[in-house]
Amino acid sequence: MIKLARRRFLRSAAGGALALPLLSEVGGPARAASPFPKRLIICFSPNGTIPTAWVPRATTPELVLGDIMAPLAPHKNDLIIVDNLTMTAALRAAGGDAHGLGVGCLLTGIEPLAGNQFAAGMGGPGSGWPGGISVDQLIADRIGKTTKFPSLEYTTKRMAGNIWSRISYRGAAMPVTPMDSPADAFDRVFAGDLGDPAAVIRRKAQRKSILDNSLREFDALRRTLGKVDRDKVDLHISALRDIESRLDIPGAGSASSQCKKPARSILTGSKEPTYYLANEKTEANNDLDIPERHQTIREMLVTALACDLTRVASIILAPSRSPIAMSWLGIQEAHHAISHTANVAALIKINQFYAQEIAKLISDLKSMREGAGTVFDNTLIVWCNELGVGNSHSHDHIPFMLAGSAGGFFKTGRSITAPAGTSHNDLLISICQAMGLADVATFGNPKYCKGPLAGLTG
Amino acid sequence: MRTMPAGVAASLWALGAMSACTGVIESRSPTGPSDLGATNPGRSDVAKGAGGAGGISNPAAASRGAVPTACSAAPDPGRSPLRRLNLMEYLNTVADLFGTAAATQVADSFPPDEEGGGFSNNADALVVTGLLAGKYMDVSEKLAAVVAARPGTVVPCDPVQMGETACATRFVDSFGKRAFRRPLSAAERTQYLAFFTEGRKAGMFADGVELALQAFLQSPHFLYRVEAGGTPLPGGTGAVASVAPYEMASRLSYAFWGSMPDDRLFAAAGAGTLSTAAGIEAEARRMLDPNDPKTKRTVAGFHREWFAIGGVSAIAKDPVVYPTWSPSLRNDLRVEIETFIDQVFWTDGRLETLLSAPYSYLNGALAKHYGVVAPTDNGFVRVALDPMQRAGLLTNGALLSLAAKPDQTSPVHRGKFVREQLLCQQLPSPPALDPPIMAPIVSATASTRERFAQHTQPACAACHQLMDPIGFGFENYDAVGRWRTQDGKFNVDASGEVVATTGADGKFTGTVELAKRLGASVDARNCVTTQVFRYAAGRAETAGDACTIERMRKRLDETSHDMRELWVAVASSDAFRFRSVTGGGQ
Repeated sequence: MIKLARRRFLRSAAGGALALPLLSEVGGPARAASPFPKRLIICFSPNGTIPTAWVPRATTPELVLGDIMAPLAPHKNDLIIVDNLTMTAALRAAGGDAHGLGVGCLLTGIEPLAGNQFAAGMGGPGSGWPGGISVDQLIADRIGKTTKFPSLEYTTKRMAGNIWSRISYRGAAMPVTPMDSPADAFDRVFAGDLGDPAAVIRRKAQRKSILDNSLREFDALRRTLGKVDRDKVDLHISALRDIESRLDIPGAGSASSQCKKPARSILTGSKEPTYYLANEKTEANNDLDIPERHQTIREMLVTALACDLTRVASIILAPSRSPIAMSWLGIQEAHHAISHTANVAALIKINQFYAQEIAKLISDLKSMREGAGTVFDNTLIVWCNELGVGNSHSHDHIPFMLAGSAGGFFKTGRSITAPAGTSHNDLLISICQAMGLADVATFGNPKYCKGPLAGLTG
Repeated sequence: MRTMPAGVAASLWALGAMSACTGVIESRSPTGPSDLGATNPGRSDVAKGAGGAGGISNPAAASRGAVPTACSAAPDPGRSPLRRLNLMEYLNTVADLFGTAAATQVADSFPPDEEGGGFSNNADALVVTGLLAGKYMDVSEKLAAVVAARPGTVVPCDPVQMGETACATRFVDSFGKRAFRRPLSAAERTQYLAFFTEGRKAGMFADGVELALQAFLQSPHFLYRVEAGGTPLPGGTGAVASVAPYEMASRLSYAFWGSMPDDRLFAAAGAGTLSTAAGIEAEARRMLDPNDPKTKRTVAGFHREWFAIGGVSAIAKDPVVYPTWSPSLRNDLRVEIETFIDQVFWTDGRLETLLSAPYSYLNGALAKHYGVVAPTDNGFVRVALDPMQRAGLLTNGALLSLAAKPDQTSPVHRGKFVREQLLCQQLPSPPALDPPIMAPIVSATASTRERFAQHTQPACAACHQLMDPIGFGFENYDAVGRWRTQDGKFNVDASGEVVATTGADGKFTGTVELAKRLGASVDARNCVTTQVFRYAAGRAETAGDACTIERMRKRLDETSHDMRELWVAVASSDAFRFRSVTGGGQ
């Protein structure tokens, strides 16, 4: 009955009246301590770090953060800095670009598929898409069954889909597309279920009937296809089944104090000039609105979590090989280009910007009351990167940072240095366990797994 | 797989290729069946890297030399993966079904497509995940509501005069044929009529139309180009089939227009004239029309992706070093290069012209930028340029700005552009060096060439000698594409060298000489041939496509290298006229 009570509380906090049958999973040491759901947010920033400015200056008697982490100082007791993890899967991959391999292995923990779709290896072939499900998606499959959205993915920069621009995967070669348009993201997450209740019910019935029709046609089609095409169609089919299974879950209801809709942003996808139709317009694309994109994405995400519309999310703060030039900081050259120069001062500034955005995310989550505490108490933020050092494309010393205890699972306010040779897979295992997936003993390629990372919980 | 002549490879080794960079050049981003985690026995990617250290492959040249053995008697279509409409194709199709205004309303709703091999229509890359599936649903509802409000667009009869059931049936038949790009089966007619009836029950005639439209727009037969018809070739193994007439109409329309067939193609499909190479070529020539905006849009899109022109709109320059740089100038440069390519393609068509033309299309602002006499017209007009300074695409300001740094030129990026875009070669990533090598910082005490001298160290040279010596030949153009004779206080030295090509190797001075040499090169001809194939087929080439590509290449040679002929040649090729019955494989 704890579960039902929790759900009732959430729905009532959300201003909605519907109490739903509960299917959510129970697990994790902290579960009994909190009647609230755990949430996971992955934050990705690219192109490696400056290790000397990233590692803490001191760890005892208390944590003293490095230059890059300075904006996070107000939250330092909520952090765990995890150093010395190696992305073994990226190192062992048969081919592929170092950035792409880093992104592809980061949340999947497994080598990408063989192939040549994504160019440039060390004299060898390129790589295919990443080779397995990403940690956020596995967790969403387990803890996101009852929410309106299994997970929500955001990016601040619209990029064509490839191994550099997609961090989440439903499975091998199944990239998850992040939302790049704040306006569309608002409409998708917050605009549902408005209007005349009878019309809402009718629309649901019609949607179901059309989805059934499409699924029947897809099922007939897939039987005529070879395996390659069938796999492609199956991905589409599973997306449709997921939509169908969530039709009856209420969306964001009317606002209440805790679950208050953010303002709808007018920003759309920060896109290339559109050349569809006969529309030959060109438009300026200065990325000057990127800070505003960060802000509006953060507001929407925090609200979606507080309203329990989803429990798993990711934000691509900037894509791998980021073409964004942070001109608002006085930096005219793109992050990726600078990462291959000796301009350490600019790189620290760029990474401080990412740290600042995460600090704001933490503050916003802390401002959302939940029971006697805040939403942040039940949240885990994972800040990650595809490389250790950008210029040398290294896959060791990947800068991982955790923020939040995931409902008391992790003991924060510390820095740990993993034993030499530890694969980042072990951190992925720890993340699963922190989110209540106590049975996850390996993640990604089991060859690289020793078990949950020591020193995070005790 | 063709490897470099031993002498050239040996010279790479002499430069120290063994340490970090093996010197292998691969084809640019090809995709194949293995990219989706599947293997396809019996068909290997022509484009796969050589694998062996030290080998330099140039797979785009696989068909060079017109080896007659590539074409056997039996047609080989390579792979025929199921193709989903990409975003551009989806929106163009919506525009043809409902009008441009309707398409424009939903144009900004979609996430970007996945890309493969440098093109956004690569069948192996395009997938549908949750976000896009949801968008298809939302957009179909939005479009259906817009269209149902003025049903004349899709309902070819008056339901009051004709009777609702009869008129609804006509609507389902006529719209269904256009949405699925083939006549509906009897079962489908019943199925979609049922949606009309369901919608009608809850409202008016238009509500029935609206619900049926929603269902059509979410069907796999609308969202994908399903190819299920055709018959196995007589006497074959059953692995290859002809392409059914309506499916051929779609192959043609999406290749040339990026959209659905028009009435004439539908009629040709119905009349059976799309079953011969001659019939297909006739339609291809009709569509390859300089006055057809749909074809022009597609050809422009092909070149935009091939030459990575999309990146021009994101170029940033250091305002201290280049104070005249502005978003407006950047847009003008983009219009200039797109206009130039468009004009060369449609009025001349020759590859040599693309890489040698001593003229461009400028407005007043660009004329000032380049320091030439301003055109009197406000718009973009053809302006003759100094033939000692300018020679077509490679001396174009947009590309010179793109392949440069914010505050300085970049011989590396300019050489890389030539290798990857123009010669379809793929360069390896930089090695992980410790201590790392930093890109040179602009310095008053050294020329650009001197600052990049570090790349002649053995660890770097294996790759950089493929790029830098080509890029040094561009030193007469600053990082915003203006002609210069001084690099800081140094006189520009624009001497360079090309290695590891077929027939274009040797020393040169300046980009004009380089461009003309490359424009006449076998490698560039193979590259344009391969790129047209990849775009039209929506996939990377396979071993089975050798004959198709060889015949395309032959057509190019027979027509003074008229690039337009490649579009006709690919339409009448094996890969286009036939299909593998296993589609994408297995």
